[in-house]
Amino acid sequence: MSDPKDNPDTYPALGRMLTWVDKPGNGNRIFRALIVVCALLFVADFVIERHGEFEIEDLPGFFAVYGFVSFTVLILAAKALRGLIKRPEDYYGDKAIDREDYPKAGLDEVRYDD
Amino acid sequence: MMIDQIPTAFLFFAGALVLLALPQGRLRGVLLLLVPILAGWQVWSLPFGNLQPVSFFGFDLELMRVDKLARLFGLVFCLSAFLGNLYAWHVRDTVQQVAALLYAGSAIGAVFAGDLITLFFYWEGTAIGSVFLIWARRTEGAFHTGMRYLIIQIGSGVILLAGVALVYRETGSIAFEKMTLGSLGTWLIFLSFGIKAAFPLLHNWLQDAYPAATVTGSVILSAFTTKLAIYALARGFAGTEILIYIGAVMTIFPLFFSEMENDMRRVLAYSLNNQLGFMVVGIGIGTDMALNGAVSHAFAHILYKALLFMGMGAVLFRTGTIKASELGGLYRTMPLTTILTIVGAVSISAFPFFSGFVTKSLTFAAVGNAHLWVIWGALVFASVGVLSDTGIKIPYYTFFAHDSGMRPKEAPTSMLLAMGLTAALCIAIGVYPAPLYALLPYDVDFTPYTTGHVIGQFQLLMFALLAFAVLKRAGIYPAEERAIYLDTDWSYRWLLPRMIRWIATLTGRIWGGTTGMMHRRVQNIIAGLYHSHGPEGRMASVWPTGSMVIWIAVLLGVTLIVSFFG
Repeated sequence: MSDPKDNPDTYPALGRMLTWVDKPGNGNRIFRALIVVCALLFVADFVIERHGEFEIEDLPGFFAVYGFVSFTVLILAAKALRGLIKRPEDYYGDKAIDREDYPKAGLDEVRYDD
Repeated sequence: MMIDQIPTAFLFFAGALVLLALPQGRLRGVLLLLVPILAGWQVWSLPFGNLQPVSFFGFDLELMRVDKLARLFGLVFCLSAFLGNLYAWHVRDTVQQVAALLYAGSAIGAVFAGDLITLFFYWEGTAIGSVFLIWARRTEGAFHTGMRYLIIQIGSGVILLAGVALVYRETGSIAFEKMTLGSLGTWLIFLSFGIKAAFPLLHNWLQDAYPAATVTGSVILSAFTTKLAIYALARGFAGTEILIYIGAVMTIFPLFFSEMENDMRRVLAYSLNNQLGFMVVGIGIGTDMALNGAVSHAFAHILYKALLFMGMGAVLFRTGTIKASELGGLYRTMPLTTILTIVGAVSISAFPFFSGFVTKSLTFAAVGNAHLWVIWGALVFASVGVLSDTGIKIPYYTFFAHDSGMRPKEAPTSMLLAMGLTAALCIAIGVYPAPLYALLPYDVDFTPYTTGHVIGQFQLLMFALLAFAVLKRAGIYPAEERAIYLDTDWSYRWLLPRMIRWIATLTGRIWGGTTGMMHRRVQNIIAGLYHSHGPEGRMASVWPTGSMVIWIAVLLGVTLIVSFFG
């Protein structure tokens, strides 16, 4: 963000609109909206009848709990595993793609305002 | 019609020859788009049956076995070749242009192969065609990666050939039909398919190679090899129970890796692996509905996976990096790429009204009908995992998260066009799945959009998103780090070279030790002789008399023997 040339007013129109997500307070708004949506979906289970292939699916809120718990378990497990198998980028030596820059000839690096 | 007499694969090979005659530039770009259109139109209009029987060294080869299963894969391969070539419109590299045609042609040839020998030739063709999309990066790292990739791919073909030879000796037939695991031959064929389908522990060539390809190369790579293997499994091993368990493991273990991985194209390669797992489970169940699920999932998956690789390719093309730790905040100046990538992310996460939902649901229904509740639970967990490591991670770290300060220009028009078309297809299939369902090998009697199903799916995904938001706000959700993560490639990239070095050192030591010992012994003998017979030696002091006495004794002895016999 220290780039003096950076001027949000010159971004493409769509990009300017999307900067809404980074405005102060809007992160909280999105979070609250998400909670409302989740609450509605949870309540919907008591209103409509769902019939899956398995009895357990018909428990109200089954998918809600399964989704939340699965995600959390996955993240925590991946975090723990990371400690075991993380290695520096040059672990396989310098002749590996993780250590190389992508050749400039195959790229077209242009700034948006150039 | 002339064109009906040509096997579809040959249209691509002929296209590659014509391409070489054209000057580099737009004309070649047009040709690269025309070939898949022509081929797709041909596949669409062909009647079912064995259309191209050929005799080859006493074998009856079937170059064009057209049925619903082969036609579906043929069509989606033509479609993805078209989209990939459109995405690569700006490329002015003959190697990549020719490789794309040979690779797509081989994959399509393999799909229409009615016998195992033809399958073998095309199977190896895909290996050789595709490796140039990696080597075209033209760095030493890409060269080494390409070599590893090629050895494994060619190895898969050699195992296939061995299996075919054994099966032929046993049954006298080379027809590519449904097989039953049992003999060594069928197991070898199964293993060969399994390597290309990236079964667990045989998988790591995929995550090693795809991130090493060129910007456009990885888009093209993502479509063919693994889905050819899915086709081959669906054709050869439908209903093979072991596939259910292999597939279930496949859906889960890549999740942990893609969750950690920093290279976004490698993240996509892991999630590709996870998606293949769903298809393998469907093939393992083998009912009409399960096979429809696997095959339609492959169709939808080729499109949204290509879209995601396109989005990440565009980012690499504009910023020069694809590492999550270096990216972030790109939505400001690449809003279209952002939105189109999100369409891919939402599709792979199987949100209702996107293509992943209407295809994966068939597999879920088939798992339900078979009452495999453990497998079902695993697949639901894996669905949450896909949302986590592709649906959220890819767009979030690339386009949002912390601002990297990079302000790249939007992707070029040709790339945006390719991404836009692919995204439109992802949505079209999701909203109106009937045309895709009509193309499936078996009749579809299934409605994905029931209120209960849609609500359940939304619950699963939205609560997973909620978990993401909660973990993020609690500071538990991990940040990306510049690092790599060990996988099975460790065994041949780290362990094997070290074992060879260790064995070499050990053999060297033993050899050096024994030869050294011999050397010292000989030197001791020489030194001993020198000591006794040398100029300073004891024998030397009496040398003239001593030797004279010996020679006289010898002469006397000889005289005695001669006179005795004379």
